[in-house]
Amino acid sequence: MAFESYEPEQRHKLQAALKTGDITTGELWLRYFSIGGSAGEYEVDAYLQGLFSLPRLERDLLAMAANELLPDGKGPRAPYSDELPPMEPGDG
Amino acid sequence: MNRKAPLDELSAAVGRIMGLLLTEEKVNDAVLHLAQGIRQAIPGSIGAGVSLLDVRGNRTSTGFTDEVVAEADRLQYELRQGPCLTAWASEMSIIVPDVATDRRWPEWSSAVWGLPIRSVLSAPLMVGQHALGALKVYADAPNIYDDGTARLLEQFTAPAAILLSHIQGTETVKQISGGLQAALYSRDLVNRACGILLARGSGTAEQALSELMTMARTQQKSLIDVCTDLVAGTAADGR
Repeated sequence: MAFESYEPEQRHKLQAALKTGDITTGELWLRYFSIGGSAGEYEVDAYLQGLFSLPRLERDLLAMAANELLPDGKGPRAPYSDELPPMEPGDG
Repeated sequence: MNRKAPLDELSAAVGRIMGLLLTEEKVNDAVLHLAQGIRQAIPGSIGAGVSLLDVRGNRTSTGFTDEVVAEADRLQYELRQGPCLTAWASEMSIIVPDVATDRRWPEWSSAVWGLPIRSVLSAPLMVGQHALGALKVYADAPNIYDDGTARLLEQFTAPAAILLSHIQGTETVKQISGGLQAALYSRDLVNRACGILLARGSGTAEQALSELMTMARTQQKSLIDVCTDLVAGTAADGR
C-alpha cells in the first residue's frame, strides 16, 4: 500500500499548520533535518504536495518540526500518527 | 516555491571546503599576522610576506609587513617569475643569497634592482600534497639566509598551512549559512541521544528516535531539549 489511510489527513493538517505559522518548506525541512529527519528537501516538498509517501517516523518528525516552529498556542497543530485513528478503507 | 534550498547550501559549503577555495576578506587578516610573526622570528629580515595561490598560480590573497615586500611580490606575479613562484611550483624552499648576482629570474632581478632587497628566502605552504602558496622573507644585505634559516621558516609552514586551510573552510561555512551549522550540530546531538538509548537497549535507531519524540511530547519539551538533557546525563527517566 503506497499510502497509509490516515496519511492524507496528516498531510492536510500539516499543511494547515504551515500556512497558519507562515512556515516555508525550506524552513520546515531545515528544522526536520536538525531533529534527525532523513528525507531530502525535495522528498518533503513532494510529500506536502501529495506526490510522495513518507514512512510514519518521517511524517511524525515533520509534524514535530512544524509544531516546534509554530508560535505557542497559535492555530492548529500538526498531528502525529498516533493522534489519527486509521479510517476504514473507502472512507474519506 | 521557497528560498534557496538548504541542501544546496550544504553541497556548496562542502564543495568549497574540499576545493580549498579562498574567501579573501577574512584570510587576509590571518595572513598578515602570520607575516608579522615570521619577520620577527628570522633575524636580519626587513620584511615578510605570505601569498596564497590558486591551482593556476594566480594570487588569491596576500599579507605583507612592509611596502617593499608588497612591491617585490607584485613584480613576481606580474612577471610570472621569482623565488616565491618557484618555491610554490617546485614545492621546495628557495634560498637567494644575493639577488644582484642570481641568474634564475633575470626579469624579476632587474625589476627589483631599485628596491632594498638582496637576500630572499621562500618556503612553500603545503597542505597534504597540495601547495597552497608560499611564505617569504626579504633582507637588505646579501647572504642573510642559509639552510638553517630555511629550516626555521619551514617550521612555520606546516601549522600555517593547516591554519589557513581551516580558516578558509570555516569562514566559507559561516558566510553561506550560520543556520546550517546549527542544524548540523543539532542533528548530531539527536544522533548522540539515539546512541545512548540504543546502548540502553532500544531496538533500532528508528525506535530510539520514536522514543525521544514520545519523551518530548510527554514532557512538553522540544526534541533538542530532551536530547540535551539525555546527553548531559540529567535525564530523570529512571531506566
